[in-house]
Amino acid sequence: MNEGHGHLPPVAPSRSGSPPAGHARATPMSNRWDLPDLGIGVGLRTVHFGHILSQHPPVDWFEVLSENFLKTGGRPLHVLDQVVERYPVALHGVSLSIGSTDPLDLEYLKELKSLADRTRARWVSDHLCWTGVLGRNTHDLLPMPYTEEALRHTIARVREVSERLERPLVLENPSSYVEFAASTLTEWEFLSRLAQEADCGLLLDVNNVYVSAFNHGFDPREYIAGIPADRVVQYHVAGHTNKGTHILDTHSDHALPEVWELYRLAWARTGPTATLYEWDENIPEFEVVHAEARKALAHRDASPARRPEEGTAAAAVATR
Amino acid sequence: MLGLVVHPGPVEEALRVAEAEVPAGRVGEVVLPSKTLTAVERVGIYHGMYPLRMTEALQADYPALAHYLGDDGFRDLVGGYVQAFPSRSYTLNRLGEHLPEYVKTAPGVRRPEFCHDLARLELAVSEVFDAPETPPLSEKTITSVSPEAWEHAVLAPVAAFRLLAFRYPVNAYLQTVKDDHHDHPKARLKDTWAAVYRRDYGVYRLDLSRTAHDLLADLANGRPLGAAVTRAVVGGGRRAPREHELFRWFREWVSGGVFRSVTLP
Repeated sequence: MNEGHGHLPPVAPSRSGSPPAGHARATPMSNRWDLPDLGIGVGLRTVHFGHILSQHPPVDWFEVLSENFLKTGGRPLHVLDQVVERYPVALHGVSLSIGSTDPLDLEYLKELKSLADRTRARWVSDHLCWTGVLGRNTHDLLPMPYTEEALRHTIARVREVSERLERPLVLENPSSYVEFAASTLTEWEFLSRLAQEADCGLLLDVNNVYVSAFNHGFDPREYIAGIPADRVVQYHVAGHTNKGTHILDTHSDHALPEVWELYRLAWARTGPTATLYEWDENIPEFEVVHAEARKALAHRDASPARRPEEGTAAAAVATR
Repeated sequence: MLGLVVHPGPVEEALRVAEAEVPAGRVGEVVLPSKTLTAVERVGIYHGMYPLRMTEALQADYPALAHYLGDDGFRDLVGGYVQAFPSRSYTLNRLGEHLPEYVKTAPGVRRPEFCHDLARLELAVSEVFDAPETPPLSEKTITSVSPEAWEHAVLAPVAAFRLLAFRYPVNAYLQTVKDDHHDHPKARLKDTWAAVYRRDYGVYRLDLSRTAHDLLADLANGRPLGAAVTRAVVGGGRRAPREHELFRWFREWVSGGVFRSVTLP
C-alpha cells in the first residue's frame, strides 16, 4: 500500500471511535479556540523578501520560522516588522524540543514569547519531537517513543510552555524514520491524548502523515481519522523525496496527489482551517510557491465535506 | 540515540561507540526494523543527515572559507569542529562562533593562519548582520557641534561595527568569492585592515590603510577626536595622513553611518 503509487486503499474502521475518514460531518467544525481560518499561506523565506516587500503579493498569511528571527537585530527582523504590518503571521519553531528530558530552555521561551507579541502571531507552533539532550542540540526533529511515561512527561511540559507563552501551544505531527520497540501507543493516539490532556492545538502535516505511513507501514487514513478535529488549527502540505526504501521529508517540489487526498479527508473532518504550503529546498520564485499553495482551494472544494451525502436532502437538491 | 546521530564516523562505528548503552547486536530491541530497512539503517538516516545539516549551516556563514578549503576539506573541518564545539544553542546562528579559533589548529587544514583570518572576517560579517540596530549620527547632530568643540568630541561607533587587522589579504579573497571570480588573491602574507559595518540593513566591508585603521580604532575606543588625529599625524611617520585623506576618511565614515553618537565634555 505504501509504495506511493495510485490512490490510497479503502480505510478500515477507525480504532479511535471517530467517524471513518471520508465521511462528512454535517457541519464543519471550528477549532476549540475559535482561532481563525487564515486562508492559504506560505513560509516567509529570505529569498522572497525583496518580492514580498516590493510587490505585496495577495497571499493570505505567512508562517514565520521563529529561530530565524531570534537573536538578531538586523535585516530579517526589519523585514518581518514590515511584513507584519500587512499580513497575519503564525510562528513555527524547531527548537522547543518538547519531548526532551533536558529542562525547558527558559531563555528561548522568553524570546519566543517576545517575538510572538511583537508579531501579533496568531499562534505559536513547534513539533512533537526532541532535538537533543545534555545541553546539545542536533537541530533535527528526533522521534519519540510513544509510551504512557513519555505522554505524562510531554503533557507537563506542554502545559508549562503554554503558560509561559500565555497562549496555547500548537504541535505538529513529525515525519520520522525510526520507531521504538517500547512504544505502546500509535502516534495519533499519543497526539490525541496529548492535545486533550495538555490542552494544546495541533498542526496537522498531511505530508508528514504520508511520509511516516510509508516509512512505518500504517494506514494514513487511520491517522487522519484518529486526530481530534477540534484541536487542528493549521495544516501543512508539502512535497517529499521517495528513496524507494523510505521517504525523506524534504519539503521540496510539488505535493503528490496522494498527499492532497489526505488533505481533503482531513478537511472533511475539520472544516475551514489555515493551510500552509512548505517548500524549503531549491525554493523557486514566490509565485510558483504561492501557486502550489493555492491548489489547496480546489482540494477544499473537492473535499467530501462539500459533497452532499447520499440519501440526504442536500444530495436530492444537488441532483435536480 | 544522540550519540549515534552525532558520531562523526560511519553508523556501524557509532554503534560500537554506543555499545555501552545498547550493544550493536541488540539495536533491534530498541529500534524496530521496517519492511525495507534494518534498525541500523533507520538510525543511519538521522546519522547521515547530521553532518549534512551542520555543513550547510556553516557554509552559509563561511562561504569563502568553504571555497578555499574545497568541499572535502570543509566537510572534514566541520566534522571535527562540531565534535569539539557541538551546538548548545537553540539557534544555528551561533554554531560557528568558535570556528576562527578552531581552524588555526584543526588537523589537515592547509594554510591555517590564512584560514583563521578569513574566518575572522566572515564571523565579523555575521556578527554585524545580526547586531542590534542603532541609528547613525544625523546631519542635524553633526551640524549642531561647533567647529571648536570637535577637538574634544568623543565618537562612538554603531553596534553593527567591527574593526579588524589581518596578516593576509582576506577581504580581497572574500570579494572574489562573492563576485564569482576565478582570479583569487594568493594566501601570502600581506598586512591588511578592514572595517565591517551595516547601513540600511546592508553589510559593508571597507578596506583601510594601517593609519586609517589605527585612527578609527582610537576613536572607537573613546579617544577624543583631536587627540586621535594628533596621534595619527604625529605618530604616523611616513604613513602620516595628509589633510585631504583625513577629510575623505571622515566623510566616508560619517556618510557610511559608522558612528552613532558624539559626546562633548
